Amino acid sequence: MTRVLLGIYFAIGVAFLVLPLALVVPISLTDSQFLQFPPQRLSLRWYREFFVDESWVRATLLSLQVGLGATAVALVAGTLAAVAIVRGSFPGRRLLHALLVAPLILPSVIVALGLFILFLRWKWVDSVPALIFAHAVGAIPYVVLIVSASLRSFDTTLERAARVLGAGPLRAFLNVTVPYLGPSLFAASLLAFFASFDELIVTLFVSGGLQTLPVRIWTDLTLRLDPTVAAAASMLIVVSVAGMSIAEYFRQRNVRRYGH
Amino acid sequence: MTRRRSVQLALMLAPAVALIGLLFLYPLFGILKLSLFNPAFTLESFDKLRSSPVAALVMQRTFLLALTVAVLCFVLGYPIAYFLATMRPRWRAFFLYLILLPFWISVLIRTYTWMVLLGREGLVNGALHGLGITDGPVQMLFTGFAVHLAMVQILMPIMILTCFAAMVEIDPQLVKAARTLGASPWKAFATVFFPMSLGGAAAGAIICFILGLGFYVTPALLGGRRNIMLANLIDFEVHQTLNWSFASVLALVLLAATLVLLGLFRLVAPERRLHG
Repeated sequence: MTRVLLGIYFAIGVAFLVLPLALVVPISLTDSQFLQFPPQRLSLRWYREFFVDESWVRATLLSLQVGLGATAVALVAGTLAAVAIVRGSFPGRRLLHALLVAPLILPSVIVALGLFILFLRWKWVDSVPALIFAHAVGAIPYVVLIVSASLRSFDTTLERAARVLGAGPLRAFLNVTVPYLGPSLFAASLLAFFASFDELIVTLFVSGGLQTLPVRIWTDLTLRLDPTVAAAASMLIVVSVAGMSIAEYFRQRNVRRYGH
Repeated sequence: MTRRRSVQLALMLAPAVALIGLLFLYPLFGILKLSLFNPAFTLESFDKLRSSPVAALVMQRTFLLALTVAVLCFVLGYPIAYFLATMRPRWRAFFLYLILLPFWISVLIRTYTWMVLLGREGLVNGALHGLGITDGPVQMLFTGFAVHLAMVQILMPIMILTCFAAMVEIDPQLVKAARTLGASPWKAFATVFFPMSLGGAAAGAIICFILGLGFYVTPALLGGRRNIMLANLIDFEVHQTLNWSFASVLALVLLAATLVLLGLFRLVAPERRLHG
């Protein structure tokens, strides 16, 4: 009996967490000026509006550009650091690991303020490369966490076997460890990309006149409520869900292949 | 360790250390400098902080909001995590995936969904009116209620995940043993399972508390002008009044609160999770 009540509560709880997101998609398919549910007439009007409006398209392209750049920076720097931290033994490893994941938990408004002051002094405001590096700071924790967790569960006997069979240390790492890490690296890149693609607060502080997609949505929301945002939000939801599902698929495939 | 190996390690660490050092630690020192030096060491900005009724009010409100949200996440999330931890593994993976999905969608979008749902013509008002509970639209947007509701929804997946991770570590045989020894199901839960899961649950609540302290988007969009939080005040001081040193002091307060809570987190969190 208790179990049944708990089950009902569980279902309501999960609906509370997921349903609001699922409802935005049908709401965005409205024909009218106003958001309504259920929509009176289905139409792709606001999606057309999104792609016709140059400011939306430009913001999306900038977000893609910054996201890809930040992912590349965070992936290279984060993976190298994770390998060094897990495999090497040097004083301060724990501290370094903690520092690299700290941006995840520290309120971004603090980092945003600090970077804003710094970028003004360096004249880095309004620069795409600067924005890429600022976003990479927020993306690196995901790479470090995922890659180091994956490396810790890796059976180093496999790499030693390659060494015994005559491979050099680098070759053994590239031929044995990297393929094992593959899905983790993929998942890490996806998370890093979304960390940048969704970033708002740091961007609001340091981007100057540059408008990324979240900034574009933000300015729209603080001024007026136009269903174009609903269309943009729906597309972001679909893209995020698709991305995460792919990452989850690869993670599970790796679990099956290596047994953990 | 050989010399060559040390050089190799240093080279591997260099990009990440440069990135975090230059664009994370150094800016934090900048905030420290701006709030405590003018140009010599001074506490004058803290005097300003104490004498500012707005800052006091906002700090109090932020702290209270984050605490309330964390407690709500704990109370509402714990049973969800418990049900998840005790369900069949096949279903468990599916529901875990479902619960974590919103986690990967930006806070901005998740806040926006609440703007859509809670508006005057929104779904919630429509449903309340349709069911005959209310006569006209109820003002829900731009209230403290909306901020609480959305923040609980946004932070609860983190609570559930942390709690769940601690719960699956508990050996089910222990609960069975308590039952065999004559404990009622409720008593077995209360004296065996609950105390063992408390560390993970408390850790989850502390993470929610920390993240809640720094919320910016949700209070700004759902709370309106009367519900601004510390992060919004920092933004206001930077962009509207251009009082950067005051903004830095506020940021320092936020940083200090975060660090204290992180220390508390280390105390309660199950040991393995920190290094795993």
